[in-house]
Amino acid sequence: MAEEVTVSTAAVGIAQRRAQRKLGYHLRRVPPVVWLCGLIMVSMVLAAAFAPLLAPRDPFEQSLLLRLTPPSWLEEGEPGYLLGTDEFGRDILSRMLHGARVSLGIGLLGVSIGTALGSLLGMLAGYFAGPVDELIMWFADMQLAFPFILLAIAIIAVLGPDSGDLPIKLVIIVGISGWMTYARVCRAVVLTLKEREFVQAVNALGGSDGRILFRHILPNILSPIIVLATLDLARLIILESTLSFLGLGVQPPRPSWGGMLGQGREYLDTAWWLSTFPGLAIMLTTLAISRGGDWLRDVLDPTLRSG
Amino acid sequence: MLKRQSAAHWAAGGAAIVALMLAACQPAPATPAKPTEAPKPAAPAASPAASPGASPAASPSPAAAAGPQPAAKVLQSGVATTKAPANKRDLVVATAADVTDFDPHMSTAINNITISFQIFDNLTTRDPDLNLIPQLATEWKSTGDLTWEFKLRPNVKWHNGDPLTARDVKFSIERTYDPEAKTQVATVFTTIDKIDAPNDTTVVFTTKKPDPLLPARLGFYGGQIIPEKYFKEVGADQFNRKPVGSGVVKFVEWVKDDHLTLEANKDYWGGAPDFDRAIFKPIPEPAARVAALMAGEADIILKVPSDQVDRLNQSDKARAEGAFYAGLYVLAVNSKAPPLDNAKIKQALSFATDRDAIVKSLWRGQGIVPNGFVSKGDTVGYDPNRPPLAYNLDRAKQLLQEGGYKNEPIIIESTQGQLQNDRQMAEAIIEMWKKAGINAQMEIIEASVRAQKVTQKTFKGLWWSDPTSTLQDPDGMMYRLLGPGGSQDYWRDPEGWDKLGDQARFSLDQKLRDENYKKMQDIMMVNFPWVPIVQPIESYGVAKYLNWRPNPNQLFQLRKEVLTFSR
Amino acid sequence: MRQFLVRRAFRAVAALWGISTIVFVVMRLSGDPVPLMLPPDAPASEIFRVRAELGLDQPLYIQYLVYFGNLARGDLGRSIHMRQPAMQIAAERLPATLELALGAFFLAVVVAIPAGLVSAARRNSIWDNLAMGLALIGQSAPTFYIGIMLILVMGLQLRLFPISGRGQGTWLELGDWPTMLSHMTLPAITLGAFTMASIARLTRSAVLEVMRQDFIRTARAKGLSELFVLVRHNLKNAAIPIVTIMGLQLGTLLGGAVVTETVFSWPGIGRLAIQSIFNRDYPVVQSAVVLVASFFVLVNFLVDLAYGWLDPRIRYA
Repeated sequence: MAEEVTVSTAAVGIAQRRAQRKLGYHLRRVPPVVWLCGLIMVSMVLAAAFAPLLAPRDPFEQSLLLRLTPPSWLEEGEPGYLLGTDEFGRDILSRMLHGARVSLGIGLLGVSIGTALGSLLGMLAGYFAGPVDELIMWFADMQLAFPFILLAIAIIAVLGPDSGDLPIKLVIIVGISGWMTYARVCRAVVLTLKEREFVQAVNALGGSDGRILFRHILPNILSPIIVLATLDLARLIILESTLSFLGLGVQPPRPSWGGMLGQGREYLDTAWWLSTFPGLAIMLTTLAISRGGDWLRDVLDPTLRSG
Repeated sequence: MLKRQSAAHWAAGGAAIVALMLAACQPAPATPAKPTEAPKPAAPAASPAASPGASPAASPSPAAAAGPQPAAKVLQSGVATTKAPANKRDLVVATAADVTDFDPHMSTAINNITISFQIFDNLTTRDPDLNLIPQLATEWKSTGDLTWEFKLRPNVKWHNGDPLTARDVKFSIERTYDPEAKTQVATVFTTIDKIDAPNDTTVVFTTKKPDPLLPARLGFYGGQIIPEKYFKEVGADQFNRKPVGSGVVKFVEWVKDDHLTLEANKDYWGGAPDFDRAIFKPIPEPAARVAALMAGEADIILKVPSDQVDRLNQSDKARAEGAFYAGLYVLAVNSKAPPLDNAKIKQALSFATDRDAIVKSLWRGQGIVPNGFVSKGDTVGYDPNRPPLAYNLDRAKQLLQEGGYKNEPIIIESTQGQLQNDRQMAEAIIEMWKKAGINAQMEIIEASVRAQKVTQKTFKGLWWSDPTSTLQDPDGMMYRLLGPGGSQDYWRDPEGWDKLGDQARFSLDQKLRDENYKKMQDIMMVNFPWVPIVQPIESYGVAKYLNWRPNPNQLFQLRKEVLTFSR
Repeated sequence: MRQFLVRRAFRAVAALWGISTIVFVVMRLSGDPVPLMLPPDAPASEIFRVRAELGLDQPLYIQYLVYFGNLARGDLGRSIHMRQPAMQIAAERLPATLELALGAFFLAVVVAIPAGLVSAARRNSIWDNLAMGLALIGQSAPTFYIGIMLILVMGLQLRLFPISGRGQGTWLELGDWPTMLSHMTLPAITLGAFTMASIARLTRSAVLEVMRQDFIRTARAKGLSELFVLVRHNLKNAAIPIVTIMGLQLGTLLGGAVVTETVFSWPGIGRLAIQSIFNRDYPVVQSAVVLVASFFVLVNFLVDLAYGWLDPRIRYA
């Protein structure tokens, strides 16, 4: 939620410079927890990138005779299926590895869309003020006044689920879910910067609006945006998995963590491994990202404090 | 400081995750055997179903004698412990979806007719063996080519005490096709020309052409009889909210998506049911329904997932009861969409489908592989000598080649949870088809999108359909849908199949009809307007102390002949 | 201040109007509700008749004008599937959602504030680590996963709580409380987990912050008991950020209820909205959205006011 981030705009610039000076110091003293988070993140990304090489089996290959086999380290397990099989006898580990691509991929693409859209609109709103500002903030108000998940469901009802290999619709829906946060922060920063001498000077020298925005203002909002984006990534991964859980996200038989969890729901009491492992993967990933994001915020931009 | 502290957070968090997982895993060894045994086909539910179903009907103990005693006892304990899940003479039924309408003429959805058949009676109905038996009518006969005369049960009262007469019957059935009434069942009684009620217990139907199936049709949806006087007093809206019928239970209270309370009709003409109240609770999650049954919070649960059937039968609290679905689950084919306009390709689809594996694994043996296009149990057209539809990968590949298949995508548009195992079967089938070299894909569609595609005929390839006939007749199951103008009219054979179907529809000669339907199936084995997949057994979960046997064909019944407590 | 209020109120109304318009358009584009209402073999004429009856055969802008005219009079039409006024259906569901949200909120506060206090007071003890570890999990686990795990462990394995639906009875009847509470426990924990975690972490850091200040040290030096100091001085001073976030979380809870209600089959407005979207029951979707959004806007508005009231340093610029 945007309101959770209270920005003392005047402090931004100063804090930033201070933070940048302290960056080196911080990097030398990264707490082990953050290392651990980084390690988890890197291994997740690697797992996603090299899923086809790492996966012991084809994630689509069914063997109906081996369905609902428990993990291999349990008594009833079948060797070769480390995390067991699902209701079609597909290897859960392989599906999770391939699912990592979907979850992380949609999360990262979604964040890119959100950041780009949000910072652009925020900069425009802050820079031009007046009606442009009102209009953009009106949209932000609307989206904030309403559980986004309902809007997402309605939009999917209009567009229909993705059918190809690239879940483009899903990426866009996930992407637009959080632009308001970026917009508000950017707007606040821009409002402050606008009054500063160097911007005024460029303006006086006849620099175009675009030039001012992208050459002089953009670099100054990068670090709060990076921090926000990191924290937002966790939220988007959860949103994607929630939609897939409700059956509206990535379409079967393509694996995604949320989808696996949703489909495993029917087997909660008979085959717990169907939903437990994908859920743990989501949780571990978001945990690592948000803890890492917390640290990054403390280092880069201590003024962005949230609960 | 920060370092140490957050490391400890993590350790604690990790410990909590491990604890949670351990808690989750622990009971797993306690319920072993299950998963590995799974692939073996479960014993068909039909055999256990037969014995308990037969006993209550035969048992002479009159409900009236057994009634008051436990009821009084429960009243006391009921006051003492409100916590107890239910009065011992409460029957709790957990359904998959809540009611939306009580007016029986305003919906044909399964969740609604499950209830309206309890509150309202028809002239006729069916027993669990699907014989047509009297309900409000005691006898009926054809008094001419175009007339049917029904004798009504005398002295039947509505729940509000008013007498039920032939005028109510005339009013109810006329209402179904009255354009002003805007009912959802306007197409059920299109053969009726007029209805007369010469006296209080006689109804005469005059039809436009000979209609041998009228008595059977009166036994299913659209045929529920509603009270003319009460209806006219309160109006359609209020009637829908607070229905008055003549059935085995009376309406008491409904809290949407929470519970529906019905009270036993002690004055029911067929005898009071063996419970005091029936409470229907919608529990959409299948696992939660099963848990409710196991925990004693429900006595009957509908739509038990196949994977839970063994588990129920192994428990000491409940059992699974099955009834053959009086129809088939098929993938209907848009035979106009290339390459599905090519019969060879459609044959290949059928040969590439390993139905045996689907029935054994996904259905856990709760169903049979169809041997054609008519369901087992239909009165005509079913040929027991026909072998089950075959699986032959090589033949499928060969047919694809002969048909000149060029890797065009073939799409199954599957719903999720509308039919039991629909999404699961689609996922399994596309993998099977891929093995044959078919570029098979699936798309999940919502129920409302499917409904739109049915009316607009815009399916991309194949979709799930559960053709059934309320009359156990291939005309309703097959020809109604696939015939000219039907909702699945995508393939025509005017000189062959269409002619046979039309002839069978209007013939009273059962032998000719039987032969026609067999011939029609031979034609369909070439053209596959459907790819039949399974004739499933619909599973219910029933508490141990309950004697109850489900009807096939979704006619849910609570009469004392089919339901008794033994706790 | 007054100017702020007026502007804020104007923006709230504008946002509500915008939302209902967007939902109107999105729902109309999402497809026709009529085929689902009728039997599959209903003739085309029947479909046209029902469409005309519902006014769905009109051009979109006429439909919108009609809708908006009715909306201005507080009439949101009748449910297509349930044949009742749509607003009535939605309003009937609101109490269940509020009940759940308040339960979750209450649980969160009751657990999180003491947990945060203890964590702060006994910093780096096993309790601190356990509480903050759980809080980290609570903040990062998806709502539906927490729900699923609770169903699995507390409901199915340990059989401690019912896993579905709302208890039958009323809060007015004391005898009904056991069943009402037992049904509410798991959904409330699920919905409250995130809030609980946030409040616990915030309480801890706010208290630590205050503890460093001089007057606390003075109080301690005066020999006042540890507990007294903790509750009397700390909590009061740490209240501002805690109360603020509590207000904010109430809105978040309403959003989270959509998922929680689906997992636990809770008969609330979130589940109604999802079902109605799937059924294309436009009037009910619109009613639910207008209700929820009004509530959201109202809560945000109050939170804004609370900011100023609790901390006069915050000005409305």
